[in-house]
Amino acid sequence: MSGVLSYLLSCIFVTVVHGSMLLNIYTNGKYDSVNDIITLGAAVILLDAVYFIAMPFFKQRTYAVDFMLLLILNMSMIFQSCFGGVHFDVKHFITIIAALVSCRIGCAVCRNHRWIQTKKKFIWAGIGVLLVVILLFTGSRSMWIDLGFMSIQPSEFIKPLLVLACATSIAEQQNRHKVMGFNVVYDNLIIFGITAVVILFQWWCRDLGSIPTFAAIYASCFFMRICYPKAKFSKKTLIIAGSVVAVAAIIAIILAPAYVKARLFADIWSNPDEDGYQQTKALISIAEGGWFGKGPGKGFLHEVFAYESDIVFATISEEWGLLYALMTVLMLVLIVAMPLVNPPRSYYHGTMCAGVCAAFTMQMALNIFGSCNMIPFTGVTLPFISAGGSSMVTSGLMIGMIVAAQSPVFVSPSKKKDKHKQQKRRAV
Amino acid sequence: MEVSICAAALLDICAIILILASYIEKRSGAKVWGRLSNDMELVEGNHIYSLECDEILIGRHASADIRIQDMSVSRYHAMLNVTDGKWMITDIGSKSGVLVNGEPVRHVRLYEGDVISLGNRHLIFRKRRSDK
Repeated sequence: MSGVLSYLLSCIFVTVVHGSMLLNIYTNGKYDSVNDIITLGAAVILLDAVYFIAMPFFKQRTYAVDFMLLLILNMSMIFQSCFGGVHFDVKHFITIIAALVSCRIGCAVCRNHRWIQTKKKFIWAGIGVLLVVILLFTGSRSMWIDLGFMSIQPSEFIKPLLVLACATSIAEQQNRHKVMGFNVVYDNLIIFGITAVVILFQWWCRDLGSIPTFAAIYASCFFMRICYPKAKFSKKTLIIAGSVVAVAAIIAIILAPAYVKARLFADIWSNPDEDGYQQTKALISIAEGGWFGKGPGKGFLHEVFAYESDIVFATISEEWGLLYALMTVLMLVLIVAMPLVNPPRSYYHGTMCAGVCAAFTMQMALNIFGSCNMIPFTGVTLPFISAGGSSMVTSGLMIGMIVAAQSPVFVSPSKKKDKHKQQKRRAV
Repeated sequence: MEVSICAAALLDICAIILILASYIEKRSGAKVWGRLSNDMELVEGNHIYSLECDEILIGRHASADIRIQDMSVSRYHAMLNVTDGKWMITDIGSKSGVLVNGEPVRHVRLYEGDVISLGNRHLIFRKRRSDK
């Protein structure tokens, strides 16, 4: 009974939050016709209703992450539809539906760790295929593949695959092999090699903003491996690994191209019309928006490049206020913190949650602190809030992994086959 | 201004409601886990070790899920796994070995009432009993 009540309460409050945002647009927003708000409101409430009805059909232990995801996605829909004046952003609506679908796919694929551990070679192969695609189609100065009607960023899809690769290799820590006097776990070497190659490819594509995200995923999984029973990482090994990473980072900064160094040590206020253009405009707009914002659609930041993706936090702060922008970020933090309420029940699910949490936290930090000039500006998207299909689909997949960890399945992968065989025998 | 404050306050309340809902679901989640894991537990004298997750490490080491402070037990002694509601025990390279009902084993399925011997310590694998 309490479960049904909490489900109904969650449905009501998610809808009320979206309704209050629409009311805010009606009273404070900039719009040409009320019909624009009605169209937007109808789409948002309809999506809410459809998902509320569909959710119980997915047999899960908990639906809290699903509610949070729907809340954030429709908030994102409302934000994106208000930038520069209220309009219904059809493209963003489609990407939101794609994110919800990919979340379901991510959940279905990742629930059973025994099954997916038998498929880990396909995951490695998937990363390999994406790297080949990057090599052949994006070129060394780009990260996009232009299909005409849409653009795809293949490196985004490596993020969930890397998380899965790390999680599926965690159980191999006890399979040690003697190689040249060293105890070696082959999977650890493979994951390290994959991460190193991915980072090198990002360097080659000049997509340096994604490197910290991949490094964070690997680091979180490395720490999970230390926690794994009998992993036996000695203090000496850890100190050596830490020193190697520090030296590699220093060498990377020394050998970095001139434009990267310029961005690392940029003074945005000395050159506000060129290098510091986006950040200065973002900071001014955050200050002008104040705590409660100018009103949806009334900002000026929508005239600046990448207002809906790279500096989206500043655009929301300007129109909706810093308070609302910070609470949106808090919702994103809550969604990745849910494994603390319902802890994962296996090392695989734990590693997956840690990887997703690391990726999301790093992306949020790079986007928000970057647009506020607290760290160098990287152009990384804010998960679910920034516009962009590739980012939305991969973020959906990764939240699907958290949903899977909240409702895991502990079934042998051969069970279905056995049932099928038994049915055949009976038929014979 | 007032509407934007109300919208922010409602978002805050919604966040709290969703966190509370997840805590309520956590309780029902524990019942589902009980069904999944066949509601088993390990008992040694007055000590009851509940089996709350897959991959439970038994050993002397501080990081072990079931820690048995006895020199006859290895730091990383055995691992418990659950699949299809069946629990399996695996010897993960212990010195004194794992015995189930007196028989040395490497990887074997556990049944209700089995006695698991790890060094000088003996644990009983049984159905969880109610607090009453």
